[in-house]
Amino acid sequence: MSDHSERLWQIFTDSFLPLLHAGVAFTVPLTLISFVLGLLLALVTALVRLSDIPVLSWIARFYVWIIRGTPLIVQLFIIFYGLPSLGILINAFPAAVIGFTLSVGAYGSEIIRAAIISIPRGQWEAAYSLGQTRLQALRRIILPQAARVSVPPLSNSFISLVKDTSLAATVTVIELFAKGQQIVAATYEPMLIYCEVALIYLILCTVLAVLQRRLERYYERFDVR
Amino acid sequence: MAMIEVRGLTKTFGEVAVLKGIDLTLERGSVLVIIGPSGSGKSTLLRCLNVLETPSSGTIAIGNAGIAFAGGTRVRQADVLQLRRQSGMVFQAYHLFPHMTALQNVMEGQITSLRRPKEEARERAMRLLAKVGLETRADSYPHQLSGGQQQRVGIARAMSIDPQLLLFDEPTSALDPELVREVLKVIRELAQEGRTMIVVTHEMKFAREVADRIILIDEGVIVEEGPPEQLFGSPKQERTRQFLSRIMGD
Repeated sequence: MSDHSERLWQIFTDSFLPLLHAGVAFTVPLTLISFVLGLLLALVTALVRLSDIPVLSWIARFYVWIIRGTPLIVQLFIIFYGLPSLGILINAFPAAVIGFTLSVGAYGSEIIRAAIISIPRGQWEAAYSLGQTRLQALRRIILPQAARVSVPPLSNSFISLVKDTSLAATVTVIELFAKGQQIVAATYEPMLIYCEVALIYLILCTVLAVLQRRLERYYERFDVR
Repeated sequence: MAMIEVRGLTKTFGEVAVLKGIDLTLERGSVLVIIGPSGSGKSTLLRCLNVLETPSSGTIAIGNAGIAFAGGTRVRQADVLQLRRQSGMVFQAYHLFPHMTALQNVMEGQITSLRRPKEEARERAMRLLAKVGLETRADSYPHQLSGGQQQRVGIARAMSIDPQLLLFDEPTSALDPELVREVLKVIRELAQEGRTMIVVTHEMKFAREVADRIILIDEGVIVEEGPPEQLFGSPKQERTRQFLSRIMGD
C-alpha cells in the first residue's frame, strides 16, 4: 500500500469511532426525542383540527401553515439565534429538539388526520351502536386502525428526520455532521470524511427501515378495508 | 306494555324529508318487519331508533329510556347513550372491527360501555358465539371469515350489550345467495326465543315467516301495517299491491 492510501485508511479508522459516537450520542437521541414529542403534538393537532372547535382548530391550522410554509433551517435559526433578543435563551440541544418537534408535529398531523378520515364511517357507527362514547370509539376503534394506515408515511417522516437532524449542526449541536466538519477541518480530507459521514447515516437509516418493516408486518395480522 | 313507542318521528336531510311522521308501537317479544322500496326511509327509521341519525322531531321511547327530539335543540349526550344501549344494531355491511378477533369484537361493548369485568365478558362472548355457531372461530380475525360468518359475529356483537331490542338493517343484502340461509337461520332462532326485533329486509319469504307484524314504508310514511297473512294475502292499499307485485314479479 502506498503511503497516501495508508494515511487515508488511518484517518478513516481513527475518525470512525468519534463519528459513530456523535451519531449515537446526539443524532439518535435528537431524532428519537423529537419524533416522540412530535408525534404527540401531531396527534393533538390532528384531533383539534377534526374537532371543529372554532378557536382551537384555527390555531392548529395556523401552526401547520407556518411550519410547512417556512424552511426548517430558518425556524431553527429563529429559535436559537432569534429568541435570545426577546430574552428567551435556549441551549443548543433543546433548541434543536423544539425545532424538529414542531416540524414533525405539523407534517405528522396531516398524515394522522388523513388516516383518521380514511377509516370508514361504519366503524364509528358500530362503536356508537355498542354504546361507546366518542372518546372510547376514537381510542379503541378508530386510532388503532388509523395507526396501521399511518405507519408507512410516518416511517418516511422518521427517516427524513434522521437526516434533517444534520441541520442541528447550524445551531452548534455537535452531532454526526458537525463532528464530520470538525474532523475535515483537522485532516483536510473532505471527500473521505463526508463519505464516511454519509455511510453512518446510511447505516442508521437502514436499521430503522428494518424496524419499520417489522412494525408493518405486525399490523398486517389484520386487514383494513 | 309497549316496549317501543315512536311518535311523530321525522327526519330531514337538508331540504329532503326522508321520514314524514312515523308512529310505531311494538310489544315485548314481537318481531316487526319493515319492507319498502329502496330510498323509502326504512333504513333511516332503523338508524334513528339507534340514534345513528338524529331525528328532526318526534319522540322515541325504548324500555325506560326515551328522548323527545325538537329541531335545533341539542340532545343530551347521556340521553343518547342511554337510548342507544337499549338496542343492538346489525349492519348490512357487518362493520366488524378488523383489528379485533371475533371474540374481541363481541367483548368490546361489554368492557367499554357496560364496564363488565374481562373474564365475565369473555364467558358471555363465548356463549354468544356458540349461539351463532362460531365458537370454534373465536380467535379468527374478520378477514379470515366468510360474509355469512362475519354477519353472525355481527349478530353476537349486537346482543353482547344485552339490548332490549335487536335492529337488523338488511342483514343479508351484502351476502352471496348461498350464505343468506345461515344468517336467516340465526335470526329465525332468535325470533323463536321471543326476542324483540325490528328487521328491515328484502327477503319476502323470510319476512312472512318470521314477522308478527309487517309495515310497508314508502316515501317516508307508513303505507300499510298488519300481520303478514293480511299484508301479503289481501293488502288494502294500492301502493302495497304495486310494491308486492314488483318485488314478487321477478
